[in-house]
Amino acid sequence: MNERLANRLKDRRAELGLTQAELAEKVGVTRKTVNTVENGVFTPSTTLAIKLSHALGISVEQLFWIER
Amino acid sequence: MSERSAAEKAEYLSKRRARVLPFLAVLLIAQQGSFLSDHPGAERPVDHFKIAAWLILSVVILMALLTGGSWLQPKRVRELLNDEATQAHRAQAFRAAFIASMLGCVFLYFLTMFTHVEAREAIHIILTVGLSAALLSFGILERRALRNE
Repeated sequence: MNERLANRLKDRRAELGLTQAELAEKVGVTRKTVNTVENGVFTPSTTLAIKLSHALGISVEQLFWIER
Repeated sequence: MSERSAAEKAEYLSKRRARVLPFLAVLLIAQQGSFLSDHPGAERPVDHFKIAAWLILSVVILMALLTGGSWLQPKRVRELLNDEATQAHRAQAFRAAFIASMLGCVFLYFLTMFTHVEAREAIHIILTVGLSAALLSFGILERRALRNE
């Protein structure tokens, strides 16, 4: 089954006026990690997904979903 | 050190690491090439020095790959330099290194059917192939991840 984790990280970040570096700082990772999650290259751990959703003020389900 | 400066430093070091890793692989291979083409044994004092230099470089690279390196940096910078995506890249690099080493062993097995290969030469080849594969793979993944904001 061809599944991938999609996200609206970039849109939500833009809505809040945050740069990748600022968001990275909020969740304690590098800009590179935020970049790879945004582009769907890297699937974050549950811990990072929760941290990202908290930092962006929406639920994990609103931020990430599975695309088939 | 403030949080911002730690993040900026980690970003700078991360970019530098991504640029340096492939060159380190080339350096390791070049050192190996000179060892094999020049003198396969350790008979002259200069050979002992060459082998020691290669072995030290190999161990330092291995330790840096295993631990994340940047040993002299503050803890916060080291944590950022070794964050989730980096750890995933390192794991992928180790997988590539394992496959390359195994293929190196298979190659050497067939090579010994046609020519005599010293144990020391075989160790040189397998170690260099494994470490170079890890460095190249890690470097490529890091460079790709750092591209476009």
